[in-house]
Amino acid sequence: MSYHWNWAVFLSPAPSGDTTYLGWMLSGLKMTVTLSLSAWVMALILGSIMGVLRTVPNRWLSGFATAYVELFRNIPLLVQLFIWYFVLPELLPTGMGNAFKQTDPAFQQFFSAMICLGFFTSARICEQVRAGIGSLPPGQKNAGLAMGFTLPQTYRHVLVPMAFRLIVPPLTSEFLNIFKNSAVCSTIGLLELAAQGRQLVDYTAQSYESFIAVTVMYLLINVVVMLVARQVEERTRVPGYIGGK
Amino acid sequence: MYDFDWSSIPGALPFLWQGMKVSLEITLNAIVVGIVWGTLLAMMRLSRSKLLSWFAAGYVNLFRSIPLVMVLLWFFLLIPQVLQSMFGLSPVADMRLTSAMIGFALFESAYYSEIIRAGIQSVPKGQAAAAQALGMSYSQSMRLVILPQAFRNMVPLLLTQAIILFQDTSLVYVSALADFFGAAYKVGDRDGRLVELLLFAGLVYFVICYSTSLLVKRFQKRKTA
Amino acid sequence: MISIKNVSKHYGAFQVLTDCSTEVQKGEVIVVCGPSGSGKSTLIKCVNGLEPFQQGEILLEGISVGDPKTNLPKLRARVGMVFQNFELFPHMSITENLTVGQVKVLGRSRDEAVEKGLKLLDRVGLKAQAAKYPGQLSGGQQQRVAIARALAMDPICMLFDEPTSALDPEMINEVLDVMVELAKEGMTMMVVTHEMGFAKKVAHRVIFMDHGHIVEDASKDEFFGTPRSERAQLFLSKILHH
Repeated sequence: MSYHWNWAVFLSPAPSGDTTYLGWMLSGLKMTVTLSLSAWVMALILGSIMGVLRTVPNRWLSGFATAYVELFRNIPLLVQLFIWYFVLPELLPTGMGNAFKQTDPAFQQFFSAMICLGFFTSARICEQVRAGIGSLPPGQKNAGLAMGFTLPQTYRHVLVPMAFRLIVPPLTSEFLNIFKNSAVCSTIGLLELAAQGRQLVDYTAQSYESFIAVTVMYLLINVVVMLVARQVEERTRVPGYIGGK
Repeated sequence: MYDFDWSSIPGALPFLWQGMKVSLEITLNAIVVGIVWGTLLAMMRLSRSKLLSWFAAGYVNLFRSIPLVMVLLWFFLLIPQVLQSMFGLSPVADMRLTSAMIGFALFESAYYSEIIRAGIQSVPKGQAAAAQALGMSYSQSMRLVILPQAFRNMVPLLLTQAIILFQDTSLVYVSALADFFGAAYKVGDRDGRLVELLLFAGLVYFVICYSTSLLVKRFQKRKTA
Repeated sequence: MISIKNVSKHYGAFQVLTDCSTEVQKGEVIVVCGPSGSGKSTLIKCVNGLEPFQQGEILLEGISVGDPKTNLPKLRARVGMVFQNFELFPHMSITENLTVGQVKVLGRSRDEAVEKGLKLLDRVGLKAQAAKYPGQLSGGQQQRVAIARALAMDPICMLFDEPTSALDPEMINEVLDVMVELAKEGMTMMVVTHEMGFAKKVAHRVIFMDHGHIVEDASKDEFFGTPRSERAQLFLSKILHH
């Protein structure tokens, strides 16, 4: 093979002048992490609400939550992203739509990406929460009600706290998924890690090094997330359950 | 309010259908390779040979830790180079489809292997013991006793993964390969009707995936009834 | 105190309860027994509105349980219930289990609630377990805590749904002892159980149910002496051979 390996390329100055190629990679990493964390917060809040709604006796509310999940689960992430980025600004009232389109393109990309990932992941979290609540013995709800809790109180003090402790492992998977799914957002121009990797391949001739570096960074994200997850799992263990003290 | 104009769609249907065929081709190819290679990986992971199980574990963990977009880009940008320098081929644009299919299949196999591994482990250990007691070799007991049972348990999960796979094919967009979504985008971009085409694409995906998932649910109910 | 009048309930095509009627006076201990599937658990869950019913009326101190206008949570706060599977809240410590209802439903201060909770815990003999979690206690201990949890709400009556059915034999007595004491102190109790020894000791009346009907409703002596129905006789003969 006539390929020349050159790992030092990362320390060469980038065409933008202000940093090295390594700097580009790190800014991509920063973007990935920022995007994923913001989308995760949104997804966690929305997903928990929807997950609870899927289990309530009111048919309208639970039906709405089911429709919500099916919508975001049956359309590919890429298609959803493009719809948020290209279609939504057109469907907003003209004042808002124009205002949005005139903001900094980088902001538009980030915002659409965050909303897209947020909704997409919230549907998956909703299913985890629903499964968690569903796995609790029905007597728990009865015990809460028998004590004089209203149904919302029963959810708040008895069902939801316990369900969340049970679903820490699948939630960790979802958290990892968000980091991976953030790579899809490179397609609308967002300069996250995968996009920077591609830039590097385009500007340097060192495709192998670039890809290996990007892969290593994703693996690193994985490792960090798993370490954090282990801490969370330890703190939230419930004595008497599998994995409990 | 936006002025909807759906007139581009009827005329573009043949082109969109071509794209859909590509999507389905990639999906089918990935399912077949995914199940075959995934089964091998699962068996390697469960084997007593440390080398095999480490390799399989490493493979699966690697592909499950990185985004599909990365894998597709890897294969799109690097593999043609590798193959050209190895076989002295001239740069041919058609490498895109092949490399996308290879990358896809290798990636999804990692996910399939996890489903299959769980399926194999869900078959009671007594079954393997009974097969051995009858004098069957390892490959015989796998082929005749364990795998058939494992697969029967896994069918709903395998089908659900297939739906996810079908959705994932839209990502070949990054290889500039015209699958259904790529075709829809091209038409929308060309005619200035991106909004309508994107919504149409979303609708088509929704209908296909949702109805398939309903079929899977009905199949599951009949099995456990 | 509790008035059950012609209560009927069905799940779809399946008739669970048919025309059940009985009265429980203040201070009375009623034991409800019968073969499984007889509807006894369902009946007791109707009393505090955990199960809805289609026909009839249940009055708790004059308040109708089935009336849509009734504030059920408020009503339930005054009725204690003990479940077959204890149903302590696993993510809360024993103390928290005892205080959460008092603080969030009755509005007591945290200190008041803790004091009361610990006093009741002591009464059932488990003060040392206050900081532990339900998963660290045995079944019998959990059930005693469950009784204390219900008592912490100062209920006007207590409902027990097969309180000892999920316990290993050696732990049944520790729970029954607590229940016997409670009865002797004059608590109004409605107990679904197979433990006829308990019934003989402290029950005032015994109700026998079969296939959703109340087949017998007699004073303790009458029931154990000469039960009127054949079904009850058959049931008694089967279980009294322990």
